[in-house]
Amino acid sequence: MSETFTSPQFDQATRDAVSNDDVTVIIGLEVHVQLDTESKLFCGCSTEFGAPPNTQTCAVCTGMPGSLPVINERALQLSIKTGLALNCEIARYTKWDRKNYFYPDLPKGYQISQFDKPICGQGYLDITAPKGEFEPRRVELERAHLEEDAGKSMHDESQRGGNSKIDLNRTGTPLLEIVTKPDMRSPAEARAFLTELKLILTYIGVSDCNMQHGNLRCDGNVNLHIKVGGEKIATPIVEIKNMNSFRAAERALGYEAGRQLKLWKQNGKTIADAPKQTRGWNDADQVTTPQREKEESADYRYFPDPDLIAVTIEESEIESIKKEIGRLPAQWRELLIKEHGLKPYDAGVMVGQGAEVVEYFLVVAQGCGNSKMASNWVGQEVLRFLNESGEAIDAYPVSADQMTELLTKVNAGELDQTRAKEVLQEMIDSKIEVQAAMDKLGIKAVDNSEIESLCRQLIDENPDVIQQIKDGNGKAVGALIGKSRKLNPNANPGLVKDTILKMIGA
Amino acid sequence: MSEPIDRKTVESVARLARIDLPEDQIDDTASKLGDVLTYIGQLEQVELPDDVEPFFGAIESVNAIRPDQLTDSVDREQILSNAPDADGEFYQVPPVL
Ligand SMILES: [Zn+2]
Repeated sequence: MSETFTSPQFDQATRDAVSNDDVTVIIGLEVHVQLDTESKLFCGCSTEFGAPPNTQTCAVCTGMPGSLPVINERALQLSIKTGLALNCEIARYTKWDRKNYFYPDLPKGYQISQFDKPICGQGYLDITAPKGEFEPRRVELERAHLEEDAGKSMHDESQRGGNSKIDLNRTGTPLLEIVTKPDMRSPAEARAFLTELKLILTYIGVSDCNMQHGNLRCDGNVNLHIKVGGEKIATPIVEIKNMNSFRAAERALGYEAGRQLKLWKQNGKTIADAPKQTRGWNDADQVTTPQREKEESADYRYFPDPDLIAVTIEESEIESIKKEIGRLPAQWRELLIKEHGLKPYDAGVMVGQGAEVVEYFLVVAQGCGNSKMASNWVGQEVLRFLNESGEAIDAYPVSADQMTELLTKVNAGELDQTRAKEVLQEMIDSKIEVQAAMDKLGIKAVDNSEIESLCRQLIDENPDVIQQIKDGNGKAVGALIGKSRKLNPNANPGLVKDTILKMIGA
Repeated sequence: MSEPIDRKTVESVARLARIDLPEDQIDDTASKLGDVLTYIGQLEQVELPDDVEPFFGAIESVNAIRPDQLTDSVDREQILSNAPDADGEFYQVPPVL
């Protein structure tokens, strides 16, 4: 850290006088992403989730003497792709090191990781607040390195001291660890970072980021900078583990910031007085609790793995991977705002649903020639269906082409919005196409002479409403629209309204 | 030149490596490890031309890479048989907190 902090002792009264305005929350994140490969990082065992325990291991991933790891080409490519999407420098020379520690789910007694030559160097990710909770911010990335996962331990929860059980299926699965600088200034920013990062990773197809399967895991480093008595002090840094959802991360960081302020007001201890501490987030109780430190755990004694040789990455390879990266979420948002007139918030919601939803929207918008209408229908009807059903867009019963056909009719005035929604519902319920749904609902085109005779009838039968309209109460026409619907549900209400007003000369 | 290794460092390294080092071997080990560091210190003094690139491993070649293809895993019964204790599905280890 470039800033230097003093470590003066302030008396209780001075500490108590510190207000929230004097406190800045400093957050850095470490995110582990499981890369979407078929086989593990250094052997050909499957990475498939959910297999029976210990059925996806071999001599290499269980660390048998004499076995030799060989690196997975796709894991390298996906790492480079991620680095490019995150504006990272891509190493031209990268190598692997052994991180030594003992734990039962780490059969070799070391993890193959990267120490001083990570595959991705410094980069950045820009975050914005959808509802303006914070100013847009550029979060700098320290690095991203490619390493192997450990296995899974299951401990006896009964307190009777039973054995722990170890499943090594996950051992050796490729992880990219993305490390930010301590650049975030609130738990909301941290959550926005995680949300945007996950969106980018899924858009470029390097990981499914399934947090339930542990395919995206996140730890946070947090402390406070406090302005007090004309000086600036920092509280001891705490690393929070086990933040198993983005919401949990936001809450854990918020809780921890509050805890640190309270603790500092009690004991006045600063970063100079206490080493970095590890705490775990307890989602049930909504608190962080101290985790027992592994003795001298920080001393990993990294050294270059003699079983692996370094990898050099050619400029041409980087260029060809660059071409595989399509538009990133931020670019999609910009396109939707600039070329399709969406409001920033709506563009954010649409892009946040994933690339397939954006593509669906684009087909409909271009097909029906009315982006605003397409955005309303996809943003409301389609997304509501997906939210309620929990399905992805490919399970939506109405294809983009059928939606286009429906909206084209609305755009041409052949269907009003209310009728069109009924048609859409019929299409979904009966799994039929636009025309079939319209036939089923008895919707047919109404010609102009029918409209005129309908309006004549409405005028003749409702003299008091007509008088109100003539007296300047424009809203009164609504009553006639309601009656028109009953007389002929196929008559376009807008057309009926215009015709009535023309006929009575209002 | 590196400082000679003291007893505390030897004890700490032994603990990290989970080596049970008898009390009467600590001084001897410290002196042997010190010899290694002294030798490395000599290597560090060799003058090199400025254009020599840093060297990270004992193997000069680069890029031994395999395609992302599945190969057969080892049968569970067979691989678990290497372990001191297993229950047919899982490895079993003494309780870990
Ligand atoms: Zn394997």
